[in-house]
Amino acid sequence: MSETDYNQIVQLLCDRLTSLSKVPEVSIAPETNLITQLSIDSIKLLNLIMEIEDTFDISIPINALTDIQTVGELAALVHKIKSAS
Amino acid sequence: MSSTITKLNAPLTQAFDFQPSSELQITPTLNTLTQKLAGFDTLTSALEYAAKGITGYNFYDARGNLRSVLPYSALRENARVIAKRLFSLNLPRGERVAIIADTSPEFVELFFACRYAGLVPFAMPVPVNLGSHAIYVQQLRGMLESGQATIAVANIDYVGFLKEAAEHVGSLQWIGTPAELSKLPIKDIDFQENHPDETAYLQFTSGSTKASRGVVITERALMCNLQGIVQNGLEIKPTDRSASWLPFYHDMGLVGLVLAPMVTQLSVDYLATRDFAIRPLQWLRIISRNRCTVAFSQPFGLKLCAMRARDSDLKELDLSSWRAAGIGAEMIRPEILRNFAEKFASAGFDANAFLPCYGLAESTLAVTFSKIGTGCKSIQIDSKALIDKKVAVRIQAEGRKQSEFVNCGRPLPGHIVKITNEDGKQLPEMMVGSVLVHGDSVMTGYYNNAEETNKALKPGSWLDTGDIGFLFEGDLYITGRRTDVIIVNGRNIRAQDIEELAEQQPEVRSREASAFGVSDEDGTTTIVLVIECRLAATTERQSLTTRLQQLVYMAFGVNCVVELVPPHTLPRTSSGKLSRFAARQGYIQRTNLNDTQLSAVESGDR
Repeated sequence: MSETDYNQIVQLLCDRLTSLSKVPEVSIAPETNLITQLSIDSIKLLNLIMEIEDTFDISIPINALTDIQTVGELAALVHKIKSAS
Repeated sequence: MSSTITKLNAPLTQAFDFQPSSELQITPTLNTLTQKLAGFDTLTSALEYAAKGITGYNFYDARGNLRSVLPYSALRENARVIAKRLFSLNLPRGERVAIIADTSPEFVELFFACRYAGLVPFAMPVPVNLGSHAIYVQQLRGMLESGQATIAVANIDYVGFLKEAAEHVGSLQWIGTPAELSKLPIKDIDFQENHPDETAYLQFTSGSTKASRGVVITERALMCNLQGIVQNGLEIKPTDRSASWLPFYHDMGLVGLVLAPMVTQLSVDYLATRDFAIRPLQWLRIISRNRCTVAFSQPFGLKLCAMRARDSDLKELDLSSWRAAGIGAEMIRPEILRNFAEKFASAGFDANAFLPCYGLAESTLAVTFSKIGTGCKSIQIDSKALIDKKVAVRIQAEGRKQSEFVNCGRPLPGHIVKITNEDGKQLPEMMVGSVLVHGDSVMTGYYNNAEETNKALKPGSWLDTGDIGFLFEGDLYITGRRTDVIIVNGRNIRAQDIEELAEQQPEVRSREASAFGVSDEDGTTTIVLVIECRLAATTERQSLTTRLQQLVYMAFGVNCVVELVPPHTLPRTSSGKLSRFAARQGYIQRTNLNDTQLSAVESGDR
C-alpha cells in the first residue's frame, strides 16, 4: 500500500469527521473509534460514505463496514477499494 | 481485517465496473395482458398469470443505471427450474428456506422457487451498521434457529456471515449461494398445487437476538391482504407503475412492493435500500424518468429526500405522475409530509398523493388505508385531556396545548378495528386505548412460539397490535406505541432487545436495565438505557457506559444515552417487573427534560 495515499485518506477523513461529529474535545486520529468517541449516527455515516464515494469515485460495500470501528480501519478500507479499482 | 475486506470486496468491485448493456430494456408499463386485480388463490397461480404478459421487475444501481431486468415470464421460468433443483434435496413440504434478502433478482427467483417446491421461504436482513459483524451474525442465528431453517442462501457478499451464523444450527442441511444452488441437479417431478391454508412464508419482525419471532403468513392471509391493498387501498389501474427502495426483508417492501405489483401484473423499478439511503434522490429520479405512479416510504425516507434535495435537483425532476405516495411503517408526523410536499411542489409533486396507512407484519401488511387521492388529513387534539383522561378532544379554542394526529383511514374490507381498555373492554369513538384487529389477513401465529402467539392473539382471533390509538368517524388515528417499541430514524427497536444486550454484560444483573425513548421538540427520538449499577470506580463505570453504547450502536445503528443509577432506583411493579413507563418518568425528572413534546408518546404508555 502506498503510504502517501493512505495518509491522504486518513487526513481527509479526519477533516470531514471533525466537521461532521461536532465533538470538539476529541482530536481525531487513526485510532479514534467512530462509534464510541465520535457518536457517528446513521445519518452522519450515510453523509460520510456519500462524500467518500464521490471524492474517491469508489463504491463502499455495506458488508465491509461491519468490520470497521476506527478511522484508521475506514481509511484502510477506502484505500483498499481505491487501489483495486 | 484486510483479508476479510479483500474477500468481501472482490465481487462488488467487479460489479462497480459493470457497464450496463445498451440492449437492456426496462419492462413496459402497459401490459399486453388484461389486468387482474389479485383474486388469485396462491402466489404461484398469480405468477402463472402474470407470466403471460410483458411486465416485471427492474433493478437499478447506485448511479441510476439499469442493471438487470426480470420480466414475470422469466421469473416464472427461472423459479420453476430452481424449484426442481430444490427437489433434488428431497425435503418434505413446508420446510423453511432462509434467504438473506438483498434487493436482487436472485432473491425474488428463490422466493418463488420455494413456493413452487412447496417450501416456506423467509427473508433475513442485510447488515447495515458499522462494526456490527458479531451482532449481525448473532441476529441471523436467532432467525435460523427460530425459523428452524433447513436451507440457507445468501449471495457471495453475505454468505460468509451466513456460514458463521449457521454453526451449531442443527436444522440446516444445505448452505450456499444462488450460484451454488444452480449447480444442484434437476429432479423432474411434477409441481403440486399449493393450498390456501398452507404457509406462504414467514415474516420476521424487528428484533435481534434470541427473541426473533417469525410471523406465519398463509397463502389465504396473503391473498386477502393483497386484494384489499390493490383494490381498495390503491385502486390499481393498468397504467400504474411502482418504484421502491424498501428492503425486501420488511413487510412493506416484500408484500407492498414485490408481491402487490405481481398480483396486479405491474412493472416495478427497484433501488437497493443502501443506495437510497446514501443518495435518496435516485429514487425520485427513477419515479420521474419512468413515470411511476405508486411508491411507498416510511416518513423517514421522505425526510432524507427533503434534506438532500438542492434546487438544481428539483429542476430535473417531474413527480407529477406520482399518484399514490403511501406512508406507513412508523408513526406519521404530519410536518415531515408538509416539508416534503413544500420542497417538491416545484417538481410537480401533488400533496394529495400522500396516502397514510396503518399496518403491521402480524396482519400480513396493511390494516387501514386513508382515502386515495385526498392527501394527509389530520386533527388537533387537546394534549392534556389525552394524557389525563385518555380521551381525544378536538381543539376548538386557540392557545390550548395540542397534539396533531394523522388520519390512517378505514380497515380493508372484511377487517374490523376496535379500541379496548386495559381490561379488554371495547371503548367508544374518541377514547384512547389498545388497537385490535380482526380479519383474514391476521397471522395464524408466530412460528413455533406459542408463548408469544398467545400474547398477541386474543380470544375470538383478535390481534393485539401493541399500538395505541382512537377511532373518529370510523377512521383510525394512532397516538403512540406502547413503551416496548422505540422508533428511531424510521427503525423499530424493541426495548427488550436493548435490555437483553445490557444484561449480557457481566456487571449488569437481569431486571436491572430499562430502555425507552425520549423525543425532543423536533421529534428526534433518543434511546435512554438506565442501568442499576454497583460499580464505584470511575474507570469501571466509564468502561461499562462506553461498551453499552457501542453494543447498542452495533446492533441497531443508533446512539444511546446510558445512565448509571444506584440499585433500587428503577421502579418496579408489585410482581417485581420493571416498569419502563415509570423508569422513563424518573429519568425525565432527574434530567429536568422539558415535557412539551412528550405528550404523544406518553399517551401511548400504560
